[in-house]
Amino acid sequence: MAETKEKSLSDEKPKPRVRPIVRLGIFLISHSFHVSVVCCTAGVLALFLLPVLAKNTYISENALMPGSASPMLSNQHVSDGNRLVKDLTNPNSKSSETGIESHKIIAQYMLDLGAEVSFHKFHPQMNQFHPLHFFSSPDSGKIQENYSCSSYGINTVGIIRAPRGDGKEAIVLVTPYNALKSGFGEALSLGIAYSVFSLLTQVTWLAKDIIWLVADSQYGEYAAVAAWLREYQTPKFSSLSAPNAEMCPDVNNLFELKGHSISGSKFSNSFRRAGTMAAALVLKVRDQNEQFEDTISIYAEASNGQMPNLDLINVVNYLAVHRQGLRVNVEKLWSLLNSSWLKSLGEIFESLAKVAKSLYPKWKFGIPATEYVEGTATLASSLYYQALGVPTGPHGAFRDYQVDAITLEISPKFSLDKVWRNDILLRGGRLIEGVIRSVNNLLEKFHQSFFLYLLTSPSKFVSVGVYMIAFALLIAPLPMVAASLYVDANSSSKRSKGDSSTPSAITDTDEHSIAIRSWSPTTSFMIWVLLSILSLLTLNSVLASPLACAKATQEKEWALVKSVTISSVFIGLGLMSVINFATAEIGALLMVPMCLLAQPLKLDVRAGTLRSFCRMICNLVLGHIAFPPAAFFLLKGMLDGFGNANVGDFWMWVESLWAWNSATYLFIGMVQLPCWVLCISILFHTC
Amino acid sequence: MEKVKKKIGSFSFWNWVIASIIFRLILIYFPKNLNLSSRPEVSTPLTSFRRLAEGYWLKQSSMSSYAGSMYHGSPLLLSLLGPLTVKRIEGQPNHLLYSLVSVIADVVSAMLIRATGQNLRLAYLRSLESLDLVKQIDVSEFLCSGDIAALIYLCNPFTIVACVGLSTSPIENMAVILCLYGACSRLIPLAAFGWVIATHLSLYPAILIIPVIFLLGCGPDSPPRKLFLQRHQQKEVLNQSKLPPGFSWRPIIHFAFWAFLWSVYVLVLCGISLKQFGGLWEMFKSTYGFILTVEDLSPNIGVLWYFFAEVFEFFRNFFLIVFHVNILFMILPLAIRLRHRPCYLAFVYVAICSMLKSYPSVGDSALYLGLLGWFVNELADMQFSLFLFCGYVGVSLLSPVMHNLWIWRGTGNANFYFTTAMVYACLQIVLVVEGVSAMLNHDRKLRILITGKPQDAKS
Repeated sequence: MAETKEKSLSDEKPKPRVRPIVRLGIFLISHSFHVSVVCCTAGVLALFLLPVLAKNTYISENALMPGSASPMLSNQHVSDGNRLVKDLTNPNSKSSETGIESHKIIAQYMLDLGAEVSFHKFHPQMNQFHPLHFFSSPDSGKIQENYSCSSYGINTVGIIRAPRGDGKEAIVLVTPYNALKSGFGEALSLGIAYSVFSLLTQVTWLAKDIIWLVADSQYGEYAAVAAWLREYQTPKFSSLSAPNAEMCPDVNNLFELKGHSISGSKFSNSFRRAGTMAAALVLKVRDQNEQFEDTISIYAEASNGQMPNLDLINVVNYLAVHRQGLRVNVEKLWSLLNSSWLKSLGEIFESLAKVAKSLYPKWKFGIPATEYVEGTATLASSLYYQALGVPTGPHGAFRDYQVDAITLEISPKFSLDKVWRNDILLRGGRLIEGVIRSVNNLLEKFHQSFFLYLLTSPSKFVSVGVYMIAFALLIAPLPMVAASLYVDANSSSKRSKGDSSTPSAITDTDEHSIAIRSWSPTTSFMIWVLLSILSLLTLNSVLASPLACAKATQEKEWALVKSVTISSVFIGLGLMSVINFATAEIGALLMVPMCLLAQPLKLDVRAGTLRSFCRMICNLVLGHIAFPPAAFFLLKGMLDGFGNANVGDFWMWVESLWAWNSATYLFIGMVQLPCWVLCISILFHTC
Repeated sequence: MEKVKKKIGSFSFWNWVIASIIFRLILIYFPKNLNLSSRPEVSTPLTSFRRLAEGYWLKQSSMSSYAGSMYHGSPLLLSLLGPLTVKRIEGQPNHLLYSLVSVIADVVSAMLIRATGQNLRLAYLRSLESLDLVKQIDVSEFLCSGDIAALIYLCNPFTIVACVGLSTSPIENMAVILCLYGACSRLIPLAAFGWVIATHLSLYPAILIIPVIFLLGCGPDSPPRKLFLQRHQQKEVLNQSKLPPGFSWRPIIHFAFWAFLWSVYVLVLCGISLKQFGGLWEMFKSTYGFILTVEDLSPNIGVLWYFFAEVFEFFRNFFLIVFHVNILFMILPLAIRLRHRPCYLAFVYVAICSMLKSYPSVGDSALYLGLLGWFVNELADMQFSLFLFCGYVGVSLLSPVMHNLWIWRGTGNANFYFTTAMVYACLQIVLVVEGVSAMLNHDRKLRILITGKPQDAKS
């Protein structure tokens, strides 16, 4: 990118002896219109070609060796798991108000297996906004003052020490469990985890410690796991923060009871640790299911579009499909599956591939149309969830500490007989056992396979080298157009280099200035819009008026503003593509056409030709679409139907981005909105 | 009209200065959120505040401050700034006093830059007058280059970051600027003092002795001497008073004397403070030796750390020599070509040093970008200015992101970060090359104005 930029930027009059690279740059700049049309179309086309270009996944790390050993999980372990499920679903265990009883049962079961057990108490943390969270290390320094004894959660942690290991590495198994209102699915997931756990206490091949975390999900699954991880990775040494939870009598009660009943056992009050985590698996079982076969869904997106190493997904996919006969699912945008235009696009690609194959039999790149549609739906959802920057499950907490983690959600075909339950326990347990055994074989942490990829199906992926091409094509015209505008404006009037970017600094200030809690989302959204318009207009009249006095500079001023806008969009998009690719891609789709086409409406009206009329219409349409709330409504309306689209939804959506520290929030506030304002100011420029 | 403009200019100059100081103070009061002092772009092994504090601690517990390869700065800095690293005021940020010292150093440097810039502008106008070019070149269009340079230095985000990030580079920069200021205003003891201190603190400013000699020998920047002779030949009268003075050796001997005096003084002070711990030899080994042998390979915005992490051990010495001679190679040709513009020569040297330095930081870039402001009039039609500006903005934003991707998120690797370092080096190269060629073009333009006909591009 930098190279093309370097090539394209040369604001020099042609001299007799010009270096070829400069000549190429001059050529590109002088034909920037054609170049940008070609590049943008190619960029959009390449985006739609991605499902065709997706490669099959393969297991890159040899040490993993998935499925090379036959599963050891037997019916004995399954019946152990069944026992736990029965005890937990027993109505007697739910007598206590805080659900401590069920935690005690779980702890007792773990102790009986000979594992080390401890309880971890935590307070659900309010979400705080750390705008530069992704710039720095995960920190422990968030100490809250107002603890109350009524709101705390208890994680039960069981640790098996590996007979072959040195205690420096560990594998984590997480099962979210809400003791107060647990469904049958959660109990079943505990049953699966327990059967695996009971097997792992007996095996000899274990080289990494196993941590089983029963996360108390009454304040959300993510919060519980995040609290435990924070305690695990960044211990607090201050004496002030430690005794907070211990002051609550209820918790102390719990410990005392334990201490009495099992003296001299491996139960401990203090926080227990094992080694560094190699991988983490979050296991869930869904209560209801509409499907006709046992499926397993994989959720992998962590905060800011980070993904776990592809090898982890590969191992799960390989074992589930080839060993346990489960169907593997990744998220899809279901509404895209029925769209006819996508189907016809897929058919076009298919027929093109057929033609190519008839021309030269070794060209085999086509995929069937239905597969294309499915791939696109998966890719779209993959892009969307990465772009949101909000983790799709408790596994997201692990990624902040560089631990690869995924959530597996088993959705069995629903029936209540015991055979079926045993079957799910056996297959689910064997899958988990296989994955743990593979990860156990690892010598180093996951590093062989990709971290930057998009999934188009559980067994197909698009790597960074491929999807970056689409993005690079899309934003390649930006520097050229910026340079050509700058050259034009500079050569005609050298003096008009005023600070034309005054509005750019404004929008993000009023974004933060509003901290409205009590109003409904719709009102707060409206207030935000009004306040921003007001502050923009006042600032515009205060700051931008000195520029208006010189008539001569006016004519080219919009070109300079456009040049500045385009360069800042280019820098912003380039930066965002490194932080979170999906956001940058979606942002580029919205903003690049708008920025490239923007031209004062007055000029177009004055010209009065068909071409300028078309451009005017395009400008108006794009100006509406690229406004982030409008884009949000449009997307939501297309996916869910326009009936239930609400003005307040956007506010809620942005608030959730804020609460999850998403970089997308910053992108919208600091790149997209200011550039949209600049483009609008170009459109309504008085020249 | 002109006067009003000037009034507005000077008024807003002081406004900007105050605004930048207030901005620094605000940042100093919220240091926790930024954690700038641990960023690799800001603090190198030579300028890091934490290492200074460690060195001071070692000194206080009567050990050699160079023990354990933590501190690599000058012992004088330890005695001057060391006490400030431990002194705390109740209820104030931890390192308030130290930060105030860097803010003051920044402001002093800016004022010195301003004075020098005004000096240079006067000299330029005088030389234009003696060439009778005042009519052809619209002098009223000339910007106040001193003000602009000072504001560039003060408001540059690089300077602000280096100042708030508690690195010692504001002080090193001040020494360099002091040296140039002294040479420009012919205060020979001051110039010698600045040169000795700057060399003592960071070694690389030693090559500034060449521009300083030119400055003292034949005065500040002016068009080539040849042009004056041509002009007067045209007029057929050789007016000696209008010619720029020739090279005179007297001030240089003065300078040598003072430089010798100051260096003896500095060395004696260092020797006293290091008497029990191996003396001066220990100091040279762990300051200059550390700089020249590139021992610390922790990532920074330069290119040497990656290279020396990759290179085979038995080639190491060879490449060390290659990289350092690289700087020395460029000294002579540049000195010959730009001998009539010593201040510009100093700018080019500083830029080259900050590019090829073993431990560069953004503080070094802040220095040469500030000096660049002196030549706004001469470099008005420099090429690639938009590209350079966007490049600097882009790289300085991209570099922390890449570092984060590599160190904290684990999804990138060292190559990601090194890429930004290479792009940064390329930008600096483009800046220097385009800057020098723009300056030569400016001289060419003056000659065309004098002779009235374009010559072949031989010179």
